[in-house]
Amino acid sequence: MKNIFKILSIAAILGMVSCKKVLEVQPQQSIDAATALENDQDVKSAVVGCYSLLGGGALYGTNLLMLPDLQGSESYCSWRGTFQGFRQVAGKTMTRDNTEAARTWIAAYRAINNANIVLANLSKVSDVDLRTQLEGEALFIRGILHFELVRMYGLPYDPLTANTQPGVVIKTTPSTNETTASERIARSTVAEVYTRVVSDLTTAVTKLPNDNGTRADKFTAYAFLSRVYLQMGNYADARDAANEVINSLKYELAPIPLIPFTNKNTKESIWEIQQNEQNNAGQSNDGMATFFASTVGIGRADVRMNTGFISTFYDAADFRRRDWYYIGTGARPGNTYCNKWNAFEQNLPVIRIAEMFLTRAECNRRLNTTVGNTPQTDLTFVRNRSNVSAIIAPTVSDILNERTRELAFEGLRIHDIKRTKGATGSFAWNDNRLVFPIPQREVDASGGIITQNPGY
Amino acid sequence: MGKSKLSLLIVLLLSGSFLLAQNKNITGKVIDAGGSPLAGVSVKVKGTSTGTTSNTDGSFSITVADNVKKLAVSSVGYEDQEVDASGSSLLITMAQSTKDLNEVVVVGYGTKIKKDVSASIAKVTSKEFQNLPLPSFEQALQGRASGVYINTGSGKLGQGLSIRVRGISSVSANQQPFVVIDGVPVVSQSLGSATEPDNPLATLNPDDIESIEVLKDASSSAIYGARASNGVLLVTTKSGKQGKTKLNVGYFSGWSEPTKKQEFLNATQYKQLFTAAAENMGYVAADEFAGETGTNDWNSTNNTNWADEAFQKGYIKQYNISVNGGDARTKFLFSGSFNDQKGIIIGNRLTRATGRVNLDHVINKSFKVGANISLAQSNNYRVPSDNSFSNPIQLNALPPLHPLLDANGKNNNATLYYNNLIELEDNNRNLSKTYRSISSIFAEWNILSNLKFRSQAGIDWNNLQENQFLGRRSLDGAPEGYSYDNQVTSSVFTNTNTLQWNNKNAGTHAIDALAGIEYQRGIANGASVEGRAFPSDRFTRIANAAIISNGSSTETQFRFLSYFARANYKLKNKYLFGASVRADGSSRFGSDNRYGLFPAASAAWILSEENFLSNNKVLSFLKIRTSYGRTGNAEIGNFSSLSLYTSSAYANIAGLITSQIGVPALTWENTDQFDVGIDFGFWNNRISGEVDYFRKNTKDMLLNVPLPATNGFTNITKNIGDMMNTGWEFTLNANLIRSALNWTTSFNISTYRNEVTRLVSPVPPGQRTLGRLAVGAPFGQFYGRKYMGVDPANGDALYMRADGSTTNDYSLAADTVLGNPNPDFYGGWNNKFSYKGFDLDIQCQFVSGNDLYNIAGFFQSVNGDYFDNQTVDQMNYWTKPGDITDIPQPRLYDGNGANKSSRWVQDGSYFRVKSVNFGYNFPRKLLQKAKIDNARVYIAAQNLFTFTKYKGYDPEVNATYTGNLNLGHDFYTPPQARTITLGINLGF
Repeated sequence: MKNIFKILSIAAILGMVSCKKVLEVQPQQSIDAATALENDQDVKSAVVGCYSLLGGGALYGTNLLMLPDLQGSESYCSWRGTFQGFRQVAGKTMTRDNTEAARTWIAAYRAINNANIVLANLSKVSDVDLRTQLEGEALFIRGILHFELVRMYGLPYDPLTANTQPGVVIKTTPSTNETTASERIARSTVAEVYTRVVSDLTTAVTKLPNDNGTRADKFTAYAFLSRVYLQMGNYADARDAANEVINSLKYELAPIPLIPFTNKNTKESIWEIQQNEQNNAGQSNDGMATFFASTVGIGRADVRMNTGFISTFYDAADFRRRDWYYIGTGARPGNTYCNKWNAFEQNLPVIRIAEMFLTRAECNRRLNTTVGNTPQTDLTFVRNRSNVSAIIAPTVSDILNERTRELAFEGLRIHDIKRTKGATGSFAWNDNRLVFPIPQREVDASGGIITQNPGY
Repeated sequence: MGKSKLSLLIVLLLSGSFLLAQNKNITGKVIDAGGSPLAGVSVKVKGTSTGTTSNTDGSFSITVADNVKKLAVSSVGYEDQEVDASGSSLLITMAQSTKDLNEVVVVGYGTKIKKDVSASIAKVTSKEFQNLPLPSFEQALQGRASGVYINTGSGKLGQGLSIRVRGISSVSANQQPFVVIDGVPVVSQSLGSATEPDNPLATLNPDDIESIEVLKDASSSAIYGARASNGVLLVTTKSGKQGKTKLNVGYFSGWSEPTKKQEFLNATQYKQLFTAAAENMGYVAADEFAGETGTNDWNSTNNTNWADEAFQKGYIKQYNISVNGGDARTKFLFSGSFNDQKGIIIGNRLTRATGRVNLDHVINKSFKVGANISLAQSNNYRVPSDNSFSNPIQLNALPPLHPLLDANGKNNNATLYYNNLIELEDNNRNLSKTYRSISSIFAEWNILSNLKFRSQAGIDWNNLQENQFLGRRSLDGAPEGYSYDNQVTSSVFTNTNTLQWNNKNAGTHAIDALAGIEYQRGIANGASVEGRAFPSDRFTRIANAAIISNGSSTETQFRFLSYFARANYKLKNKYLFGASVRADGSSRFGSDNRYGLFPAASAAWILSEENFLSNNKVLSFLKIRTSYGRTGNAEIGNFSSLSLYTSSAYANIAGLITSQIGVPALTWENTDQFDVGIDFGFWNNRISGEVDYFRKNTKDMLLNVPLPATNGFTNITKNIGDMMNTGWEFTLNANLIRSALNWTTSFNISTYRNEVTRLVSPVPPGQRTLGRLAVGAPFGQFYGRKYMGVDPANGDALYMRADGSTTNDYSLAADTVLGNPNPDFYGGWNNKFSYKGFDLDIQCQFVSGNDLYNIAGFFQSVNGDYFDNQTVDQMNYWTKPGDITDIPQPRLYDGNGANKSSRWVQDGSYFRVKSVNFGYNFPRKLLQKAKIDNARVYIAAQNLFTFTKYKGYDPEVNATYTGNLNLGHDFYTPPQARTITLGINLGF
């Protein structure tokens, strides 16, 4: 019997060691949310985390730069790949479970939530300058993403109406636990979303430093504000914001048009997504180079240029024709591809100074003003770089054509068609099929509080 | 003369009187069917208790009265038999009993006589699968164990296979059974980084295994508590046997080929179809072909059968050797094996080398110690994921117009899609190397005659090394080569201490009891590195890479601390009661819910022991049993309950982002299972069987509750779903012919009906897949739009609307139920014949009523929508008004009939002659001269015939990359191999 007690006591001891401590194991590759953001460095890292999300394929890594061109593919380009989601975007045959519509929505709000978490934790930052800068960056990120969302998922903004059509959900509070992550928020109107975007970006302008390395600074925010106002048909404010960017004198056009796409952080680039060999949007199933390129070992050659578009729009001597388009040698060889997106690890310019010149020129022309410079000078400046002669007294249409030439395949096409009330093929600017479906999962997960777009 | 006559008479009388008491001595030898001597066999005078037992060499000697006519010979595990007590030297061959109720079954933390078991346990012994070229040992259960549904998934070697015990008991946690080898819980989940899981159990040598028990109901499995919901596989390896040291060597070798190849268009058909497809859309086929492929092959005379290039003739060879023996105190088994298989898919090869030592030693009356040590190494030259351009089966998408080789005689790389044969050139490799040891040591202490303490320490150590090199000509290796190295080491340590009490001298009341503590700790860590840009393809190691493009290291951990107890009570040898309970604590469970309790109880009544049946000539055995209990599923991820942040790099700067939102109450999933069954035997158990009904209610299933993504998270994992499985299992064994020709047959059939009973919201099918979750529907139900054939007027593909009418506008079609990937029933039918030295074993396996969806149909059976080569049935396309066909008009790029629909849903029922093994045992007399105990030569075949209506490669398919929910999906998934082997076994 003595022995039995011995064993039982051994067993009991073994049991004691256990209980609490033994079963407490912390993960190694993640940290507990409760203690994640505690000091300057943590909050700063959280802001960088937001940029890393912006660089993903669902946002500027691919979709926000590629889908607007695919949507306007008529007489412009074609989608040749096997990916159904993109095929539907190009063909205007999206279904409510379109994978691209879903992943962009999800990633954008994920980044917005991370930005909101930064804003809620600013008190943890002791350095006042850093705190202001981080606040500006978080507002910038939140602002541009709401802007991208509203122009994808809502019917277009029309300055002639009250814009009460449903926009997207405005999210300005952080979600960090089950309760806040389960909130069901309805879509705001397009007008309300634009108001919020303008508010976030104008505040960001006041908080951001003049220079912030490769991250957003004051002029990045101005550049986006210019885009936002232009989309709203608010030409005066668009012009003035563009003028601010140009007058900063931080930016200049590169001598030849290929440079901003093969070098990193050139002076032509106002803001670009940083990529490197390890961290990029993708090399086989995602990423701009993946879908656009057709060189040996690089790219799937899924987006093919319409040769008619190139011959119609570009002069033979135009450097842009020479630099930006080529005959593929990799996948689907022998066809024409866009050389702006040619390497996996290359940075992705999101907004270039050329666009600011064109925006200022267009607005000045429309308003018959010459803020900063005359439309003709601004236009000439852009054209001369590419070896094409000046246009005397350019019309709005001349300037818009220049935009098409200069900014082709950089994610502006469908937005320009919408704001100028044009059409792509048989789809008019305000066609329901040019609006992305709200991901059906959102409609379901919100119990119908988030409503679906017409036609889906 | 008178005197002598008298004396003769006296002698006669005396001898006559002696005759009544005269004895004769009979000697003999008892052997088994394989010719090996059997020790411990009881040889008795029929109807008496007079007798003896055989020695270690099988010999016996018995002195019986002269008038004894018959001897009764019996041994546990063998058929009783009577032999004529004539002749002085007998050779008695014992036949293995089909289902002996005295047989011992392994249960959790112990063993039990089958007759006394009140639970539902399926057992498969080594006799049923030895010498078969099994890809992995679990396959031995397929068609042999009722209630166990196995889908091998594909013909790739060393690939994970799906095992479902009594239906599907989870949605997001693991669905595979818990595997315990010699008391050591092992890792049966893939450690690798590939999209498709490898099978860590494929490193085990099936020939080392003595038996596999499947614990199916709650009363047998609840002793494993939080990990038993998917059933438990108890694997017992062979151990040494007391007696003469036996040496067994075996060798087999054979070849393999695909069970089926598919037929695709030849060049003429291809051009015909695509000419029509292009012209119908106003294109010129040659121009479009040139535009898409960048070649002028449209005008070539090539007629390449790309589909066949994916396959090769495989081979298999295996050597194994084992030595076993021992004396009363020490028993040992040494074994070693080497297996080399070249798969049927080009580039696929698996080698496996294993070694094992099983030892046990009785120190004295009180103490016993032992060890099971095993070491295995395998090299798996893998085939890429189904959903990869480098999957050789995807070659069937290439147009026959492309030449196989280019002008330089190299693999042609100017093709519509990637010609992945390039990945088999030169130094390209995709190798997974595994080192694994599953080992344990134990000590037993008989504290009292009926009280035993046992302590076991075991480790499952698994080291996986993945090594991949892709040269500059390959898709992912371009432009300058790519190399990837990954090492993962998982070690799971388990310490089990049990105290077992058993009252041996049980009369009316027999009680045994067990209590124990188990501690388990698992750690897995890994490191990987990836490099690009090599001076040439002759350099393949990362040391030579110009760019180190990626690197990572990881670690994860879990711990379990468990307490368990069990008691069995047997009253009057006919009423059985059992109860068990386990408390499991785990680091995986949320802080609010650390410990789970898993009780179970069972009862059985052996009716055949009752007076009213005990003398029944026909019904020899009848037992009714029932059980109820609770088990759990703890395979919920190591840290699912936590809210976490993780790193996220922005180019060269480190960032921090939210990664997961958790609930502290998150915990295991519960399954309550009810089982009722009957075990029966007729005519002295010549016919025996089992019938079971079960109902499994799974509650608190972990589900991802979808959140509005507008809050930054798409879902939160909670214990919130319910699912139910009900089913029947029926097993019948019969020894149909028992003479010189012996025929035993065993038939089993099982069903399960799965129904999801609670969800937060339905989980719809993915963009390419059909499987969904919905309340009231079975797991993975096919859901989508119904294809209604072709409009004879215009060749448009038609789909069904909600009101049942047809439409050619896909967006107007309604989602509806398209099928069920779960079978109506499945089972096996096994036959064993023996005649003199010959034996024949035929095992068949079947599945019925399950639907399959071929995702690849969208590419390969879609009336020339794009330039992928098409299956030959597409030639029956619509050409002119009035044509009645279900292949729409070909329209290049137009998507006529190309949308996801029931067009590619098919019945997946099949009947397969899974294995055939025909052998001959050489007569002993012949062998004795060569000092050989036994010798058997055989020819065996795996997957000899398959009968199915499925048009794809193989109806036993599961494209695992599509995820848990998409059962029965096929996507360029390779078929299984038909393997023929010749082999020999020698025993010394």
